[in-house]
Amino acid sequence: MSDEEHHFESKADAGASKTYPQQAGTIRKNGYIVIKGRPCKVVEVSTSKTGKHGHAKCHFVGIDIFTAKKLEDIVPSSHNCDVPHVTRTDYQLIDISEDGFVSLLTDNGNTKDDLRLPTDESLLSQIKDGFAEGKDLVVSVMSAMGEEQICALKDIGPK
Amino acid sequence: MRQGYYQSTGAADMAQLQATMQAIELACNSIQMHINPAAAEATLLSLSQSPRPYQACQFILENSQLPNARFQAAGAIRDAAIREWGFLEPNDRRGLISFCLCFIMKNANSPEGYVLVKVASVAAQLLKRGWLDFTPAEKEAFFHEVEQAVQGSHGLDVQYAGINFLESLVSEFSPSTSTAMGLPREFHEQCRISLEQDYMKAFYCWVQHAAFNVSDGIIGANSEIPEVKVCSAALRLMLQILNWDFRGKNTIENSIRGMDIFYDGMKQENDSLRRSECILVQPGPAWRDVLISSGHVGWLLNFYTALRQKFSCEGYWLDCPLAVSARKLIVQFCSLTGTIFPSDSGNMQRQHLLQMLAGIVQWIEPPDAVSKAIKSGKSESELLDGCRALMSVATVTTPLVFDELLKSLRPYGTIALLAALMCEVIKDLMENRTEEETWSWVARDILLDTWTTLLMQLDASGHNHSLPPEGISAAANLFALIVESELRAASASAFSDEDEYDYLQASIAAMDERLSSYALIARAAVGATIPLLEKLFSERVMRLHQGSGTSDQTETLEELYSLLLITGHVLADEGQGETPLVPKEIESHYTDVTEVVKHPVIVLSSSIIRFAGESLDPQLRRYFFSPRLMEAVVWFLARWSSTYLMPPGESGESKGGYENYNNTQLLGRQPATSLVSVFGENDEGKAMLDVIIHISLSTLVSFPGEKDLQALTCCQLLHGLVKRRNIICHLVTLDSWRDLATAFTNERVLFSLNAAHQRSLAQTLAVSASGMKTSEASNQYIKSLTSHMTSSLVELSSRSDLKAIAQQPDMILLVSCLLERLRGVARASEPRTQKAIYEMGFFVMNPVLIFLQAYKDESVVVYLLLKFVTDWVDGQIIYLEAQETAAVVDFSMRLLQLYSSNNIGKISVSLSNSLLSEADAEKYKDLRALLQLLSNLCSKDLVDFASEPIETYGTNISQVVYTGLHIVTPLITMDLLKYPKLCHTYFSLLSHMLEVYPEIIAQLNAEACSHILGTLDFGLHHQDVEVVDLCLRALRALASHHYKDRGDGKVGLGSHATSYKDPDGKFHEGILGRFLRSLLQLLLFEDYSTDLVSSGADALLPLILCEQSVYQNLANELIERQVNQTFRSRLTNAFQSLITSNNLSSTLDRMNYQRFRKNLHSFLIEVRGFLRTV
Repeated sequence: MSDEEHHFESKADAGASKTYPQQAGTIRKNGYIVIKGRPCKVVEVSTSKTGKHGHAKCHFVGIDIFTAKKLEDIVPSSHNCDVPHVTRTDYQLIDISEDGFVSLLTDNGNTKDDLRLPTDESLLSQIKDGFAEGKDLVVSVMSAMGEEQICALKDIGPK
Repeated sequence: MRQGYYQSTGAADMAQLQATMQAIELACNSIQMHINPAAAEATLLSLSQSPRPYQACQFILENSQLPNARFQAAGAIRDAAIREWGFLEPNDRRGLISFCLCFIMKNANSPEGYVLVKVASVAAQLLKRGWLDFTPAEKEAFFHEVEQAVQGSHGLDVQYAGINFLESLVSEFSPSTSTAMGLPREFHEQCRISLEQDYMKAFYCWVQHAAFNVSDGIIGANSEIPEVKVCSAALRLMLQILNWDFRGKNTIENSIRGMDIFYDGMKQENDSLRRSECILVQPGPAWRDVLISSGHVGWLLNFYTALRQKFSCEGYWLDCPLAVSARKLIVQFCSLTGTIFPSDSGNMQRQHLLQMLAGIVQWIEPPDAVSKAIKSGKSESELLDGCRALMSVATVTTPLVFDELLKSLRPYGTIALLAALMCEVIKDLMENRTEEETWSWVARDILLDTWTTLLMQLDASGHNHSLPPEGISAAANLFALIVESELRAASASAFSDEDEYDYLQASIAAMDERLSSYALIARAAVGATIPLLEKLFSERVMRLHQGSGTSDQTETLEELYSLLLITGHVLADEGQGETPLVPKEIESHYTDVTEVVKHPVIVLSSSIIRFAGESLDPQLRRYFFSPRLMEAVVWFLARWSSTYLMPPGESGESKGGYENYNNTQLLGRQPATSLVSVFGENDEGKAMLDVIIHISLSTLVSFPGEKDLQALTCCQLLHGLVKRRNIICHLVTLDSWRDLATAFTNERVLFSLNAAHQRSLAQTLAVSASGMKTSEASNQYIKSLTSHMTSSLVELSSRSDLKAIAQQPDMILLVSCLLERLRGVARASEPRTQKAIYEMGFFVMNPVLIFLQAYKDESVVVYLLLKFVTDWVDGQIIYLEAQETAAVVDFSMRLLQLYSSNNIGKISVSLSNSLLSEADAEKYKDLRALLQLLSNLCSKDLVDFASEPIETYGTNISQVVYTGLHIVTPLITMDLLKYPKLCHTYFSLLSHMLEVYPEIIAQLNAEACSHILGTLDFGLHHQDVEVVDLCLRALRALASHHYKDRGDGKVGLGSHATSYKDPDGKFHEGILGRFLRSLLQLLLFEDYSTDLVSSGADALLPLILCEQSVYQNLANELIERQVNQTFRSRLTNAFQSLITSNNLSSTLDRMNYQRFRKNLHSFLIEVRGFLRTV
């Protein structure tokens, strides 16, 4: 068990906190939240009380931003929840390799080669077709809690 | 003629008819067995859409063994005849109706009732379709047979069929239940008036006789006999006729007064408070002999009484159809009113009601025995109908007459009976709290409505404010019982866990209504009820203090919660946007209280507020004030303060209106004034205000995460206070208010308020600036309120590591909080504080753009940014000077451009469908905000308070908005237009632009223009009437601009309007020609609301004038497609007269538009019928 933990620690980005505490009552629909250790986008918030004269609690329905699984959680609204730090970075697409990885150009001129092509059919075909046609494609990569995924695509004009 | 067509036809035709019948039967069977239903439906449809299918249909009706096929054939007759009515021979028209009538009579004993009902309704519809063309003699001929049938001369079955036909006829002629025939509303109105004047009474007499004649047989028989069916049908029809919305003389009066004769009339004024329906029956003096003097009512009551004796017999019981119909009719007779009674100061009506009441009282008396019988299994319908009858009586009389009625029969009045009934109902409710929708629920609602009706009348009648003494004590007892039952319910439910929260939310509105009715009862007996409330409240508070910290208090808390709600309703009305006054009953009751401190209302209010004040003590707060109780406290304070705290008119000359309101009463105003002035501006009012602000601040700070409580505090309590000018003036001088403002800017805990509450609080604080003495002070106040927020936004946006930290959740939270607050302040724009709020926005212009870039993927923040700018521009634009306008316009354009460049061509993906549709919805909201921004900019051209014209700085609003549209429209996809709100906003902006600045469209490039016009074409075929209407207005504007411009020798729409061939030889039609084509197509062949015909005409006329030759071509095309010679010539004539009749000229003035509207109406009636035939 301690081995695993250690492994986990070392993989984290140095310095950048992956999640932030935030009062449950302030988390809104369309915001982010960590449910059961997964970063989620909140699609539904409702409040209720614990017993008639108790305190309010929030009921969250979230959708895992990477796996699209639906997750739910109930938290007293004055308590803190973890909110994931979700970032999106744009990269220019420079190559698609045979084995399903993409090659991206970072801001400082290096390449980033550790991302797989998305599994989503429509995006996949749009990337492949667009690339084959020689379009200049910019992909948005969403990352949170140590995971990354291509989440959007933009055509910035033909070459 | 009545024989039908087919008998005169030859053998060859017979075979044809047989084949059709078989096809239809096959189709009916396969639909029933669900084999290839689409094909079967097509077969059936082809029958009703084929030209003149009558012969085949009649053949099927008379020969088919399959009831379904007969049913379909009847429907086909109806569809075809309504469509082809215009060119059927008069003989054929009459023949079809006679055929249907004969069919009903001949087959009256057939077991398939639904076929008969269908044929009867077809006969009724056709009769109505030709109603205005038939001569009285022709109508007489139809009705002669019906009368014979109804009188029973052809046996019971035929009699029943006849009554059923009349039922269909009456419902067909009543506008609310009539079927659409593609005719204007006037037609339905005329038919209705004609039937009411000429036939309604006759129908009533026929069925009345029919019922009378069979009634003896029914009473005499020991079991169910066939006459019962006829009798209950007759009673049903009588009820239906009494339900008719009689106009009689009223129509004439209304039209003289120039009112819309289609307006359904204000039937009931107090509709808002009642749940059960009560239709007034006002047939007018002509009906007096039939309904009143003939002894009809007496017969009906006796009949029902006799029927009651028979409920033990076989075939008769309390809820058998005959008994139900009879009771309904009796209840209906209770609401008889109006000019049917002579003006003998209500004597005859009183007699009538007395007679009714004498019959009804047997159903509901004595209340305890009736309630007991129901509990042991008797049906509750008599009791419920009795309650309904009481409500009807209450509706048509005054409370005093209502009470007197029963006194001539019993030693007590009707109100006492009503109270006793209600007490029984409440008792039953207390016993069976858990079950839902029992009889006592229904009875309670009806009886509460009865009380409401009575007490509201008292309220409205002015001079006589009270019930008779017995009535008052009955009301007091009833209210005590109600409160007891509510409290018991409260403590019983204190521990129930509210899992069905949604359900509760829905029932809150219902509860509010119920409490308002309770409050009316309480106010009828103020003398007893207010001290009672005070006693109950003090008891509970004492209990709370005694048990503090030791025992579980939940039950007491819930009881207090309930009491606070009830008391709030009793003491004060909901303002609904107005400033509510002290309820009249309360004000006028206390005339003898000289010492203010002993005034019961003041004692009650003070003790509640004292209790509320205890919430400021942290320890007591922890013990007593659960979030839920605090919600009730805050709600009460909000409601109470809007009536009693510093009421308007208390100081100075503004008293006028208030005094007028009361000058009907002769009572001295002194005591009432003292009630009002205790919490006025000079006395305790200020201290009270201070307490309220302290409580508000403490609820915001000490109840973190309690959204409901915060919502009540921000949106109801504080928002309500700053709505009133005389309160604001005192508010800004209070230290507690300053504390609130300081806490708002500095306290971290207030940053965790819900976004909407942040905004509301900011708005509230900004609004209070208008209470400052000078405008400098107001602006200074706004500046100090906002400087903190603007400077931190500026600072954040200029950080060099913005890109790295922007996406951190705490940053996002901070930025959105600040933006929400700025947006709240922006919404509080007033002339007085406009300068400061403009500066606030000006400071953050750059940060807004920086954030829009930094958060381009964070939809929540993007939306906030756009909304802030939209609201800010909305509040500012009309006041801005030319130079400021230029800055704002420039900023808005940069914002649009940036948004567009971030979003255009972007494809988001996600594995989750719900996230994708979420993303779509976000996009829609963004775009809607942008369109609103453009609309707001637009308004600068309409209202402008600047000292010099904005053009001095080279700003041209129309140019700007078109440029904006040009940026935004590519982002609006057809899919996004499916969001109704976006669609509305877009099309209203578009049609506004095209109406006001049509010339700009000529300057657009082909791509932009085609996009705009493409959406216009899309909107033209939209389902929403309003959207289509907007598009038609836009079209009218475009075409008439072009026509007028060309007339003056100018370019008009320029190249867009001309047709040309491109180098490849492809033909491009000009836009106006294209729209002419699609508009004609729409008007002739598609389904649309008739309301659109007028605006369609307004668009069509200029289009035709612009494109005469296209119009001719289109007309010729349509004419040539028509094979039938008669139709062809009709079409040719119609097209011709569309553009020539009524002296139509080729100008675009108002007269000409009107003439063309008429032409188009008659054109469509003339040709749409056969053009749409397949």
